[in-house]
Amino acid sequence: MAQRLQPVDVVVFGVGMVGSIVAKELAAAGHKVVGLERGAPRFTVPDFQGPAVHDELRFDIRKALMQDNTREAVTFRNKSSETGLPIRRWESFLPGTGLGGSHVHWNGQTYRFHAKDFELATAARERYGDKFLDADIRVQDWGVTYADLEPHYDRFEYLLGTSGKAGNLKGQIQAGGDPFESPRARDYPTPPQKEPYHGAIFRKAATDLGYHPFPQPSSNLSQPYTNPEGVKLNACVFCGFCERYACEHYAKSVPQTIILPVLLKNKNFELRTGCQVQRINLDSTKKKATGVTYIDAAGREFEQPASMVVLCGFALNNVRMLLLSGIGKPYDPSTEKGTVGRNYAYQTMSTVAAFFEQDKNINPFMASGASGTLINDFASENFDHSGLGFLGGAFVGAVNTNGRPIQYHPVPPDTPKWGAGWKRAVAEHYNHTVMLSLHGSSIAQKQNYLDLDPTYKDAWGQPLLRMTFDFPPNDLKMAAYVTSKAVEIGKAMGAKQVVGNPRKGPYTTQQYQTTHNTGGTVMGSDPSTSVVNRYLQSWDVPNLFVIGASNFPQNASWNPTGTIGALTYWAIDAMKNKYLKHPDKLVHA
Amino acid sequence: MPKITRRGFVQSIGAASLAPATLLTQAPAWAADAPKPPASDGDKPLYLFFNADEAAFVEAACERLIPHDEVGPGALDAGVPNYLDKQLGGSWGAGERLYRSGPWQQGSPSQGYQLPFTPAELFHNALRAILAEFEGKTAFKDLPPDQQDAYLKSLEGGGKDLGGVPSATFFATLLQMTVEGYFSDPIYGGNKNMVAWRMIGFPGAYANYYDLVDKHGIKLDREPTSIGSDRKGHIHPDPNVPAKL
Amino acid sequence: MKTTRFAASVAACGFALSASIAFAADVPPAGDATRGAEIAATCQGCHGAHGEGIATASGPRIAGQTASYLVAQLQAYADGARTNPVMTAIAKGLDDQKKADAAAFFAAQSPPFAAPATHPNDAQLVRGKTLVRVGDESKQLQACANCHGPDGSGERFATPYLAGQSAAYIASAIGEWKAGTRRSGEALMGGVASRLDDNDIAAVSAYLESLGAIGD
Repeated sequence: MAQRLQPVDVVVFGVGMVGSIVAKELAAAGHKVVGLERGAPRFTVPDFQGPAVHDELRFDIRKALMQDNTREAVTFRNKSSETGLPIRRWESFLPGTGLGGSHVHWNGQTYRFHAKDFELATAARERYGDKFLDADIRVQDWGVTYADLEPHYDRFEYLLGTSGKAGNLKGQIQAGGDPFESPRARDYPTPPQKEPYHGAIFRKAATDLGYHPFPQPSSNLSQPYTNPEGVKLNACVFCGFCERYACEHYAKSVPQTIILPVLLKNKNFELRTGCQVQRINLDSTKKKATGVTYIDAAGREFEQPASMVVLCGFALNNVRMLLLSGIGKPYDPSTEKGTVGRNYAYQTMSTVAAFFEQDKNINPFMASGASGTLINDFASENFDHSGLGFLGGAFVGAVNTNGRPIQYHPVPPDTPKWGAGWKRAVAEHYNHTVMLSLHGSSIAQKQNYLDLDPTYKDAWGQPLLRMTFDFPPNDLKMAAYVTSKAVEIGKAMGAKQVVGNPRKGPYTTQQYQTTHNTGGTVMGSDPSTSVVNRYLQSWDVPNLFVIGASNFPQNASWNPTGTIGALTYWAIDAMKNKYLKHPDKLVHA
Repeated sequence: MPKITRRGFVQSIGAASLAPATLLTQAPAWAADAPKPPASDGDKPLYLFFNADEAAFVEAACERLIPHDEVGPGALDAGVPNYLDKQLGGSWGAGERLYRSGPWQQGSPSQGYQLPFTPAELFHNALRAILAEFEGKTAFKDLPPDQQDAYLKSLEGGGKDLGGVPSATFFATLLQMTVEGYFSDPIYGGNKNMVAWRMIGFPGAYANYYDLVDKHGIKLDREPTSIGSDRKGHIHPDPNVPAKL
Repeated sequence: MKTTRFAASVAACGFALSASIAFAADVPPAGDATRGAEIAATCQGCHGAHGEGIATASGPRIAGQTASYLVAQLQAYADGARTNPVMTAIAKGLDDQKKADAAAFFAAQSPPFAAPATHPNDAQLVRGKTLVRVGDESKQLQACANCHGPDGSGERFATPYLAGQSAAYIASAIGEWKAGTRRSGEALMGGVASRLDDNDIAAVSAYLESLGAIGD
């Protein structure tokens, strides 16, 4: 029998990046906020300290910071005609957990989407006509514009202290930045990180070919910084243990280093860790959330009443929580009715390997998670797609993050998989190879979606989320095209051998690509194709907000974190200045 | 030896920059630099998971996957079988982080591992079947290397059922764990004295490169460090370093 | 001439650790320790015959620091990124070759550690050890060892060892960063220094100095 607790104003589901910012803002505005985090508390000292944290086996291979599959997994199938089976060990995507969430072990790559991305459906129709896209594609406009989000992108970047070089300041193109970016009001809060060797080689080749290289925007800071919350960060030392690891240096922008010190001091906020939310509770009208039910680490069940609930639990968990709670109508791909779980998308990743002579010491282990140099000439809608037969694109960059040898030991394609020949190739190429990353958009198609699995359950007896996904042919065409361009760059870099690896189908959960799972609680202006309105308020339950990459109608060419941060501040603005003043539907559709 | 041009020298650092190019023709760096491990009885690990026959097969098989030669250390030099033994005998082997509920059915390659076996069960079942196959014949460890390779390739190619474990799955797991045992930090029992890191030039756990990252192309010729390295460069886990996560 | 020295060093060193590194963009000369011994005569009054340090002369221990680190410090004194009335004049008087030679000499020295000049109590040692190995979340201080190596034994080639270093010198270096008078290393040490109060500076300096006595 659940123990009923004293009501609070707001329950925040998940105390990761989004939850920390939401909780801090609402607590600072005077509201009583409870943050429910299923994982454990952890802090830079002592939990993230080296050298113990520089353990490739523990953190890369055994995935120590990730969600524990023994308790909670996801089932997967490429298409509806197959049976969904559990992802028994993570590989392709790595959901995080714990205080600070995935933002503790992210790479720090901090991007804005471009203006056209937010009105992609409109832009695609105008440019290419109605018949351009494959029949299964479901591109949608977001319901917000880049201009709406610009001040919030800015605020997020200044919270993190992101290191970069602006390419477009109020419409003026800036040398050294990305000329394709949409206008920003001011430059990044700190200058770009130092460029590693592979970035410099790429820069020269890309420039020679007439492209526009620029430094990757990095939230592993280039210099010491004090953010507007008064929290200080240090300079990153390029240790090469970024993604999948926590930073010991206070140099990566994570909740612990940007906002938790402020949040945890606020008496209006209470953090409860080890708490697994089971469902959002609704009243008899089913149009109002009354709070949540959760089970703590000792297995005790509690009901936490609240006036408002905010889902900040990562895209997949946000979707699952709506489905488990019976909020909104689950999406059915055969009828295309329902919206929860609709428009699931991912990221289309390809690589190019450039093998150099033995006299070029690349030193891949000297890198941060977001150092390096890239071009946006083939990203998003930055190039003319006429005659190419696809929408979208990829950034291309020398942005390798590490030289950790269990996973990183590149060899040419005809190398034996084991034996003396394998070892010889590893020794010859380890320090003389540059890997180019092609980070591609992911379009939504009607048959890619999320729902609840009918068979498999989590440790609490609740159905797992089921993912039905394969790469749309559109995205594979895009990958093939951009890879061919990237191979030319590899050759211009002076490599003796260049090998392109364009993404091929079918999508497999067995190879790491990214943890950029998007969609499922799509935002928009039309309730028949979205779950939340433009303010991220649920169409069905007005005192429920959902924030995360689950709001994306489709995924663009860049990492989602920057855009999630912008959406977070955008939604907080609507909560504080509109909703909490007059709790009601903010959009009447 | 490659031609040493004046330009080549100017772009390099003294003698050490020649190291990679001449790696294959001179005495291997990994042998010259690495401190000698303690002799004789220190060489044989105490196996807690493998029995003697299993250990003999695993030792011989790993050594074919990564053999000792003039390029670099082999699996036995690096202590890979010891790594496997400790992993399989520990929480990883017991099924840490593995979603273990049924029902079980074979999926597509995209759906990955769908067997009920923990890594420990997978190894014990497969090794039992393999050893049974060699019953009454020359032991795997006593076969000449080319026949050992042929046998391993037959496992790799699939088609054999090893006590319920598809041979390709067993082989892939063995190879993956061999690479882990070769390249992981020595505190896990493999990569003894960081010999594999020395071969490729990976500097290890201590990694402050702020002043070096923009010195493009330098040869960072230094002793690698392990998580367990003390001030003198000896490796042992440091009980004062918490690993709380 | 470079080719000759190069060929000789190939024959001599094979794969041995290189005592100096040169950078693609700008190649400082390789140091000669024999020539460096002659230059070192000027240094020994403060730093000791083998660079072991002389506390009464405020000369820190420089023996066994990497040559590239020592060269970088001399360069910093010469161009004002570090200031010290004695060192500035000396550094300005050494051309690049002499800096490299002097550095090569001291990098190769390994004299016994000087006796510690401070006498910390147990609480200071515990605090110092905690800061070196674990850090302090309340002050946003990471463990010194993250960059300075196990128990501050240094990380080649750019991060100096602190173990066995003069406590007074460590404290003065931190003080210079706090005051903003030392620009070299500021990006990494400026923030650290600003977060160390006097008690912590004393504790960490004393602990690190005490590690010399633990010795081999």
